[in-house]
Amino acid sequence: MNNIFKFSFYIFLTLAFAWLAFVVGAKNQYGDLEPTAESLEEDGSIAPDADLFPKAMSGLAQLGAKEYLSLGCATCHTQQVRSEEAGFDVERGWGKRPSVPRDYILQDEVLLGHNRVGPDLTNVGLREYSNEWLHQHLFMPQSIVEGSICQPSPFLYETFDESEENTIETTLDGQQIFIKPSLRANRIVAYLESLKQDYELPEIAFSESIDDADLVAEATDTNESATEDSDTAFPTWLASQMDSGKDIYQKLAPGGGMCVTCHMPTGLGNKTAGIPPLAGSDWVLGDKERLIKISIHGLMGEIEVNGEKYIGAMNGFGQTLAAPLDDNQISDVLTYIRNEWGNSASSVSAEEVAAVRDEYKERPITQMWTTAELEKNPASD
Amino acid sequence: MKKTSEQHIDQSAKLAFSFFIASAGLWLLAAALLAYIAAAKLTDPLFLASWEIFTYGKIKIIQANAFVYGWGGNSIFAVSLWIIARLSQSLIRGSTFLIFAGTVWNLAITFGLFGILDGYMLGHELLEMPKEVWPALFVSYLVISFLILVVFRSRKQSTTIAPQWFIVAALIWFPCLFIFAWSGLEINPGRGTLSSILSIWFGQNIIWLWLTPVALGCAYYIIPSVLNRPIDKYYLAIFGFWCIAALAPWSVVHHLEGGPVPMWVPAIGTVMSIAMVFPIAVASTNFHSTAFQDISRVWNYLPLRFVIFGTLSYTISSYIGVIFSLPAVAKLTQFSIINEFHFNQRVYGFFSMIIFGIVYHILPQITGREIGTAAKNFHFWTSAFGVFAILLAYLIGGLTHGVLAQQPSLEWVTVIESVKPYFLITEYAFIILGFSQLVFVLNLWKVLVPNPFACCDSGAKQKTA
Repeated sequence: MNNIFKFSFYIFLTLAFAWLAFVVGAKNQYGDLEPTAESLEEDGSIAPDADLFPKAMSGLAQLGAKEYLSLGCATCHTQQVRSEEAGFDVERGWGKRPSVPRDYILQDEVLLGHNRVGPDLTNVGLREYSNEWLHQHLFMPQSIVEGSICQPSPFLYETFDESEENTIETTLDGQQIFIKPSLRANRIVAYLESLKQDYELPEIAFSESIDDADLVAEATDTNESATEDSDTAFPTWLASQMDSGKDIYQKLAPGGGMCVTCHMPTGLGNKTAGIPPLAGSDWVLGDKERLIKISIHGLMGEIEVNGEKYIGAMNGFGQTLAAPLDDNQISDVLTYIRNEWGNSASSVSAEEVAAVRDEYKERPITQMWTTAELEKNPASD
Repeated sequence: MKKTSEQHIDQSAKLAFSFFIASAGLWLLAAALLAYIAAAKLTDPLFLASWEIFTYGKIKIIQANAFVYGWGGNSIFAVSLWIIARLSQSLIRGSTFLIFAGTVWNLAITFGLFGILDGYMLGHELLEMPKEVWPALFVSYLVISFLILVVFRSRKQSTTIAPQWFIVAALIWFPCLFIFAWSGLEINPGRGTLSSILSIWFGQNIIWLWLTPVALGCAYYIIPSVLNRPIDKYYLAIFGFWCIAALAPWSVVHHLEGGPVPMWVPAIGTVMSIAMVFPIAVASTNFHSTAFQDISRVWNYLPLRFVIFGTLSYTISSYIGVIFSLPAVAKLTQFSIINEFHFNQRVYGFFSMIIFGIVYHILPQITGREIGTAAKNFHFWTSAFGVFAILLAYLIGGLTHGVLAQQPSLEWVTVIESVKPYFLITEYAFIILGFSQLVFVLNLWKVLVPNPFACCDSGAKQKTA
């Protein structure tokens, strides 16, 4: 105790032991979790056609997570469903099952939180809130939930007295007004909608008390649209690209699933959330280079698709996400969207993607394109 | 002869001490204002709603950071500087460096808090300030703590006593904690909930291994020195010290009970939290059985009254904390506003009260000027009442919150409606605390910056002294 160096060393050791357990030990135990299927084969392997969970969030939702963090939402909202022995969360209907470590492995910002002045948001995307409702709530919670003490965020919206394009009707002090979500508001809502743990994992099943009839219905819904067009015949050289592209679009492949969340399985997008359609889109069917640039770096701001204006942002998938797409994957998914939902256009090759990537290698990967920029650069054809 | 050497030490500490305690006071005022805004926004969410920077999430976070790093950090520097110098009987050297590093520390916190307001918050508990400010904070901390440890190293007596262990350990714990947390959160981040374990570990340990030991060290210093009698059962102190050192880093993770982490993490946390009764009992015995031997002196000497308020609050609330870490109780209250009770108890009821006491003890010795008794008494009673009201409101409110939340049939908004009255109480209590802290800062002001209009008066006092 009397020698400062010895003393410091002991003090350091007290922390180092705990650190060994909580950081090194825990990392060793579950630091290498990977997405897996809802149930495993008997030999413990993943069936080749199984859907893998958890899925990566859409690009928009990943940006939304950052907005959620910067507004300090996590001060009042947790994102963890406690185990049934340890809490009442499942009973309260906050989740179909307790959360497990694997649910969080693909999230950039893990915001478990430890205060519940507001309700838990782990599964807010599963509750029956419409997109409008979430926007109305974000704008002024008190206008739809009386007595709420959730903080209003009017600074994320433009208000109008009359209905305009892309506005949502709501009330403020008893008066009807119209609000137009900003880019940030759209991101936050996309994030909230993406929050759901609606799948089972080998280590955790749905809690018994939950009636899973709804879930079965949901599952068949999505499967239907996925299998609908699978019989369309393509030449073999295109078919493999189409299959792989579809997997990436719809989530099966690593790094996939980011397109479908916003552009929907139907390729029709979501007009109220500012997501343009891909089906029949002049941008998808038109110039390839432009399309490749958007896929790599992303796009933000206003875009006019088939004469309609949309405002929003799309992450580029060359970005440093949890699992960025490589040239092959980008070419596959672009080929897929150019030839699905009645679209028909030439395929995109990995070389074309590589060429664009090379040409713009100076451009920071997170710097999104704007339509003005894309139009200024006359296309190669 | 002894008197003169103490005066020399005080003289050498005067500049740096005044600088740190003045900055601490300003941060305390800022934190009080922010605490009021945050409380008011919970009772009326429309208050200041149209400004993004005043949104509750941001205000609440910067309040905690201003309090812990601004008020906590600066006051830790100030009191440990003086206590270490006095106990080592060595002069403080490098005041210029201390003040320079202190300025960097304060500027870095200021930038960090504005960074949070501007939307660059990090998602780690008490590490929310943007990445860019941490190197500056860390380096300035190292400079300050190095200069304090140099004083400790040049001490006249080779044996050390309890206040030195606690304070020196706290000075060393902070950078170690920071390096461990920073390497696991930013340099080589683990995936998924690995970072959540580390984040809660850091955030809670800052309170347990930085603020707490300094306050305990101050109590170990001031009680025997004012009462002029040895600490009762002093041989237990070393056991208490190593218990905290060995248990606290493990106990804090009990907050993850039931969460998406391996089960052994909260299980260890719970066991170690229960074991924390030993160090709490030791500190409590040491302080209170000494203090109660001469209770009239404790009551009449205001700095000691502050300190004993703090140690009593530490004892009672730490036992309550142990109860709330039991899984059966945590089931109800784990995420309720009981957490506010724990935080406020520790930073206001315990740490701040002890710091107020020790500062009132040090200031007259350093500056040679006395603070008016009425002003000090007003500060004590408003603080005591405010802290009491806040803690009671959060305790009862937290229990209500937890018990009602457990009933699935109740809508969430109904649960919150029934907690609202307690938010209102805390709002008023924060106003009272704000006033009390304003009085504290005015008291500091009065002795640190002599009023030019009262020069003759204070001169006369000095002559008589």
